[in-house]
Amino acid sequence: MKRYIAWTFYLTLFICLLISRKGASREKKEANCIRVKDATGRIVEVRQPVKRLAVLTSDALEIIRAVKAGDLVVGVYSDISKDPLFWTGLTHKPKIGSWKELNYELVAELDPDIVICYAQRPGRDMEKRIDPFGIKTIRLDFFKLNNLEKEVEALGRILKKEKEASQLIAWYRKNLDFIREKLKVTNKSPSVYIEGDSNYHTTGLGSGGHDMCVFAGGANIAADLSIPYPEVTPEWILMKNPCVILKITTLSTCNACYSMINAAPLKAIRNKIMARPAWDNISAVKEGKVYVMANEIWTGPRAIIGISYIAKWLHPDIFEELDPRGLHKEYIKKFQGIEYKGFYVYPGSN
Amino acid sequence: MEGNDDICKKYKGLSGKKFSFIILLLVVLFFISLIALSQGASSLGFKDSFIALFKHTGLAHAIIWKLRLPRIVMAMLVGCGLAIAGTIFQAILKNPLASPYTLGIASSAGFGAVTAIIFGGSFHSEYLIAGTAFFFALLSSFLILGIAKFRGSSPETMILAGIAIMFFFSSLSSLFQYMGTLEKVHEIVFWFFGSLSKIGWKEIGIVSLMVFLTIPVLLRWSWDFNLLAAGDDSAKALGVNVTKIRMFGIIFASLITAASISFTGVIGFIGLVAPHIARMVVGGDHWFLVPASGLIGTILVLAADTLGRTLWAPQVIPIGIVTSFIGVPFFFYLLIKRKRGYW
Repeated sequence: MKRYIAWTFYLTLFICLLISRKGASREKKEANCIRVKDATGRIVEVRQPVKRLAVLTSDALEIIRAVKAGDLVVGVYSDISKDPLFWTGLTHKPKIGSWKELNYELVAELDPDIVICYAQRPGRDMEKRIDPFGIKTIRLDFFKLNNLEKEVEALGRILKKEKEASQLIAWYRKNLDFIREKLKVTNKSPSVYIEGDSNYHTTGLGSGGHDMCVFAGGANIAADLSIPYPEVTPEWILMKNPCVILKITTLSTCNACYSMINAAPLKAIRNKIMARPAWDNISAVKEGKVYVMANEIWTGPRAIIGISYIAKWLHPDIFEELDPRGLHKEYIKKFQGIEYKGFYVYPGSN
Repeated sequence: MEGNDDICKKYKGLSGKKFSFIILLLVVLFFISLIALSQGASSLGFKDSFIALFKHTGLAHAIIWKLRLPRIVMAMLVGCGLAIAGTIFQAILKNPLASPYTLGIASSAGFGAVTAIIFGGSFHSEYLIAGTAFFFALLSSFLILGIAKFRGSSPETMILAGIAIMFFFSSLSSLFQYMGTLEKVHEIVFWFFGSLSKIGWKEIGIVSLMVFLTIPVLLRWSWDFNLLAAGDDSAKALGVNVTKIRMFGIIFASLITAASISFTGVIGFIGLVAPHIARMVVGGDHWFLVPASGLIGTILVLAADTLGRTLWAPQVIPIGIVTSFIGVPFFFYLLIKRKRGYW
């Protein structure tokens, strides 16, 4: 009997020692945690080093590749296969869901250290479901111009790619500062009507598109509207008589501008806008200042390219030497490590 | 003989009242059209808008003839079409809740639009969206007719088949939306809201062809629709070809619905409430019910669109939302008032 009691005592002691060691190692691991603020303003603790990444958005994936962390990606969003040329080397990775939904079982099996998604989607239950598997959710948008630098910096810290992140931030800053400085010489703000994919749906205050327009030295005619993406009447646009019309599109482009071999789909969209009933009375149409821009260079990691195009269209005299296409080429080669291809704007593609 | 004279007199008196109601609706429609014509973002007021109607050049002419009038005319056409389609569906299915939506026509049109938006690629255009919406709207009605032919064309079979089709196409739409990118999902949502901003005279030509070609036929069958209310057996005994009326009634009503919503997106409740309002006033005689219902639908959609584009101007409250705001309270009113037994 005494022997049994002794054995039970030794066994209990051994288990306690094991647990305490495990606790110590967890403390050690927690000591390796960094705290970052995500796009929702929430502070997230991320264990270091991050070796496996799952990404639910194209915006985040583009920034990850820009900070030279593409090799850490183990899972990607499903729609990536629609743009295989741009995402070369990444399309074969397991598809873990879309921007609005995550395949939890697949992610648990894939066992990434973190999953990166938008601030609002998927919903909050995502954290509750994947936290028990030791997988952290990092919510970063990368589509709001004002937060872009902060988010790139946060991602750089998470991935231990601070140097690469600061290079990207420096590139953004240099080009944005150039536009900001140049615009100081003028008080002119040509009026702009911005239209999204759906006809007569514009972008008001609070939208990323409005911020880009203002940054490029334009006056968004929908700036005073209270809804970020309202429908407006063609008559109101006619009465506002914008100097420039900017149509943002994703639908004409077979899902990927990078694979486009000519600008014909963009040209067709422009022609349709110019032929809208009574719009021949609008200054922008009369003067041919109707521009079509692909979503790829609109709000997102390449917003600076979009801003450069808009700035040049709005203020051709000030930005004579600005070469948005050259800038785009530089970004694609330097930060994405691929060859520049495709058509992104019309007119002015070449 | 005196008794017969008395009945004839009473019938003429009642018909006169119903006719007067239709004239009253026309007068109301005329005034609402004038209000709608004078409302907009430009400074064109009541008088200027009216003068611009008769001008041939200039900005005022362009605003009235290219922007405001197409919108007004389309609102009227869609309202009239959906209301008449609803009246016919309610008559042939003998169900007060029947409408273009009950038979899954709206959800299948929606599925057509979703398919075009998601998979349209470089061919994506308003006409592709409208075309596929139209095709799927008709497809659903032919599916119902096919099932009815197989199982017998009883109203119950048709309604159950319609509900099944509605859920099927709604689920397919949800699946495609789930597969869509953020931008495409936005566009789908906007399509389902309904909009009259994209309308031009070409679209009006197509829709008016559908509406005006089918209305005379439906009016010609008004007596048959009246007899259907007495039951299939009684209608058959009185010489009505019930199967034919039901089949062609569905085809024509579906054609009107498909043409109306394929260009404008889903506009709810008009097909349900307009026939009920009309029935409360003019009764169940389809000779009066069809035009009265059509006019009420016209007035409701035109009023809803005018409100939608002026209440929160320059932002437009989508037509589908405003019509539902009008329709839902009225639907509750109908539920409360149902014991009056107008149906």
